[in-house]
Amino acid sequence: MKVPIFRRSTAAAVMAVAAALALSGCGGSGAADASKTLTVWWFEAPDSAMGVSSAQALKDFQAAHPGVTVKFEQKSFDQIQQSGSMILNSSSAPDVLEYAKGSATAGLAAKSGLLTDLTDVAAKDGWDKKIPASVAAVGHYDDHGVLGTGPLYGVPAYGEFVGVFYNKDMFAKYGVKVPTTLADFESAMDAFVAHGVTPLTMSGAEYGANHLWYELALSQADRKWVDNFQLYKGPVDFHDKAWTSAAQTMVDWGKKGYFSKDSTGIKATDMLNAFTSGTSPMMVSGSWFDGQLKTGVKSFQWGRFQFPGNKLTAGSGGNIWVVPKNSKNKDLAYDFINRTLDTSNQNLMGNSGGLPVAADPAAVTDPQSSAAVATFKSIADRDGLAYYPDWPAPGYYDQQVKALQNLLTGAIPVKDFNDAIAKPYQDYLSQLK
Amino acid sequence: MAVTDISSMKTKTAEATPHAARGRSKRGVAAWIVLAALTVTLLLTLVPFYLAILNAFKSAADYATNGPVGLPQGLSFKGITTFWENVDFGNKLINSLVISAAVSVGAVVLSLLNAYAIGIGRIRGHRVLLALFMIGLTLPQEALVYPLYYLSKEVGLYDTKTSIIIVLTVLQSAFGTYFVASVLSAFPRDVLEAAKIDGAGRLNILIHVVLPILRPTLMVLGTFFFIWTWNEFFLPLVMLVSDSNQTVTQAMGTLQGAMTSDPTTTAGAALLGMLPTLVFFLIFQRTLTQGITAGAIK
Amino acid sequence: MNTQFQPSAAGLRTSRNRRGYLLYLLPGITGLAVVVVLPFVTNVVLSFTKWAGIGTPTFVGLENFTRLLQDSNFWVSFVNSIAMIVAMAIIPTALSLLLAALLYDFIGNKFGPRIASFFRAGFYLPQILPITVVGILWGWILLPSGGVLNTVLDGAGLGALKSNWLGQPSTALAAVMAVLVWFQVGYCLVIFMAGLSRTDPSLTEAASLDGASWLQRFRHVIVPQLKPEIYVVLLTTTITALKVFGPIFVLTKGGPGNATTVPSYFAWQNFFSKNQIGYGAAISTVMTVLIIVLALVFLKVQSKGQED
Repeated sequence: MKVPIFRRSTAAAVMAVAAALALSGCGGSGAADASKTLTVWWFEAPDSAMGVSSAQALKDFQAAHPGVTVKFEQKSFDQIQQSGSMILNSSSAPDVLEYAKGSATAGLAAKSGLLTDLTDVAAKDGWDKKIPASVAAVGHYDDHGVLGTGPLYGVPAYGEFVGVFYNKDMFAKYGVKVPTTLADFESAMDAFVAHGVTPLTMSGAEYGANHLWYELALSQADRKWVDNFQLYKGPVDFHDKAWTSAAQTMVDWGKKGYFSKDSTGIKATDMLNAFTSGTSPMMVSGSWFDGQLKTGVKSFQWGRFQFPGNKLTAGSGGNIWVVPKNSKNKDLAYDFINRTLDTSNQNLMGNSGGLPVAADPAAVTDPQSSAAVATFKSIADRDGLAYYPDWPAPGYYDQQVKALQNLLTGAIPVKDFNDAIAKPYQDYLSQLK
Repeated sequence: MAVTDISSMKTKTAEATPHAARGRSKRGVAAWIVLAALTVTLLLTLVPFYLAILNAFKSAADYATNGPVGLPQGLSFKGITTFWENVDFGNKLINSLVISAAVSVGAVVLSLLNAYAIGIGRIRGHRVLLALFMIGLTLPQEALVYPLYYLSKEVGLYDTKTSIIIVLTVLQSAFGTYFVASVLSAFPRDVLEAAKIDGAGRLNILIHVVLPILRPTLMVLGTFFFIWTWNEFFLPLVMLVSDSNQTVTQAMGTLQGAMTSDPTTTAGAALLGMLPTLVFFLIFQRTLTQGITAGAIK
Repeated sequence: MNTQFQPSAAGLRTSRNRRGYLLYLLPGITGLAVVVVLPFVTNVVLSFTKWAGIGTPTFVGLENFTRLLQDSNFWVSFVNSIAMIVAMAIIPTALSLLLAALLYDFIGNKFGPRIASFFRAGFYLPQILPITVVGILWGWILLPSGGVLNTVLDGAGLGALKSNWLGQPSTALAAVMAVLVWFQVGYCLVIFMAGLSRTDPSLTEAASLDGASWLQRFRHVIVPQLKPEIYVVLLTTTITALKVFGPIFVLTKGGPGNATTVPSYFAWQNFFSKNQIGYGAAISTVMTVLIIVLALVFLKVQSKGQED
């Protein structure tokens, strides 16, 4: 007996699929689909907004193709990240799967000819109209496997952006207003410091410091600066005003006590925890925490504002759907991707606390989610997504974390820090040429 | 705790060893002080386990509010049950059991055979051979990944339990060969001589003379192999792709997202994941104690 | 003792006799050739190429090795390897030798073997934890704000000792080392206790009747009897220390800065985060050769030591 394997908490949904299958068993199926199988993998947690909406898309798919046997497997991010290309290069690859975005992962697979070029399908099915160009960038890879330009190999169904989460109760208690400029932001933090409260929770052992530092650089930057850095469109001066003031501000903020000097030993979950427990009034981080904040925060009201004064912000499309070259049922795979972009499923994602790329903001009823969807849309529409600081070179993330730790513990001065950031970038660039 | 219950079930034979009988009468103050010091050390050693148990039964909101160190506000099994359902834990448990048991038995047998030839047989170039086996021990795992991937694909074993069993059996036996050969180098030759004079063949000597004396050592090896295989993360991650082949440690990996992770579920998963190895180890404890009395060289 | 350990009778050593043992080696050698030697050779070949893991590797000669020689990150990581050997081999061996003797000879005598086995099981428990979990649990303990250790120090009035354990270069290496000792002791202890059960209890008893103190017995009877196990433990843990990866990955990822970077982590980065397989292969080739040389020297010392 071949039954699709579903792993998710909503037992009802599983029952529904089982029922649909049972029906299809009796009712016969579309001749074209008979005896076909669609194998789908993703690594989003079953309870997450992406997990929920993808499962719904798969259910819709099953309903439309009753004759097709649907096989789903829950994968881990680690597995796709570390052995993705090996899987794609074997007969064990599925027909469609969620893949880690980035030059070192999806880019390598695209360059090596392991992924299907989706450019034409995207035009035909209108994906290019649904997804803003700056969001879809994570699906484009050129001949070198570099992200941002070239044919479309992957489709992001969700987005992410970095903002400032804040504890409304603490803001009210200390009479602090939501800041709109960088100077405002600093005086807001001064107000907290004056009351003996550390304003920011920040993780320096993981990505928290990277994001804060990049937001600070972006506050002094424009689109051209970002394109030069991220897409190699022009020379990058790592000692320019943006990089230097970002590093210097990190040091200054540390000294002023805007974040704890223990930050270098704090991981991302601990940063989140300091915010959800109500001890930290603010956290600069990404929308991937929305779901955990929704379930975790019970004792206070929280909200989010964009990094004060910034036109550009760290953010991008999310991880992408790709169709392996060896996929046996590409048409079915395209149809599944189509359904993940359906407005109803995109709205479902929004209502589940996710950040859809093609939802109708009006249809997202939860006020917090609705605000997030609208904010993301406005950033994407004004071309304000500046990606992440570690994207331009493979292995860059680790090097940045370490350089920032050195900067914050005072092991190296700003100038050496900028050199440490410049080196891997330039090394990689010289290899590309 | 479970440890106490099971270890107090230990066989009566252990009680009767001369050791136990001899010393009971002369416990001094010093003995109690040593015991107390050891107990405190042990308790400190077990603090991380206490934390695992503490957090496994916390709700996500409780963890978010009170952090990892606070006492749970109520008992929540949600972390554990969610994990169990999401990853089809039963299936993963069976896979891990099959793989670990096969590797453990296979690697012990292989180690014994190798070490017998090297340590007792002292065949020509036994030191070079031992060094060759050492490569298996010294080669960093990441260096094995790509060659083994292409090799297993070539022979059609990629994404099968067989492939990971073969690979881990050989890798573990590299350790085991060295271990057993070292122990055998101190093997009393007069015992072998006596058996030889009695006209026993090589296989006979292995089974009836060497094996009984090595039993406690082989038990330890078997336990190590089982637990190491159980906790093996890296090679299974690369070699086992399909859901139907994946192991418990891989299932735990699904809790770690690209940017997020779920500590309470991980703690729950950790408890679930280590229970089988814990039970296995405690069972082995009993066998080992029996092995001690049976295996002493007189 | 000498007569006992010396391979005495000539009859056992004739070459005809020895050849019969080759049959026993056959499965082991075959497996080794396929799973270890072949990949090792492949790896050496790859170290002369530039390769991203798929497609055809490009031959680049010695480029990877010359680059490695100049890569300061690599050599820095080797300095940390010494700390790893101390934390994973030397301290655990010494500590568990003492523990094993205490448990087997002292606690076992005074309170019965059941109590001794109980302690052994307890100290072994860290070994059964998956390494990812070790990372999370110790993360909770060493967390600078709200972590167990700092909270306890605060409560005990030792707030001045509080530290950002894994977050600052001055304490990160020591903290990682402490976790490694915690993790390794069980492994050594179990081997030593098994070794003690293999040895001859009458020797210790005789020594005890002669009026030797416990410490004297430890030094002159127990430790010499455990020689094979001590060699095994020292060599295997040293090798483990040289290629340690998991604990570093889950605790610090080599940080802060490069304070806890080790060679394996460096290799892993090149293999899996930068897709520089050729360079990664060069790193692991150099590592393997270094470790093998070390192991051979050790084996020589061991076989000499055991013949004495």
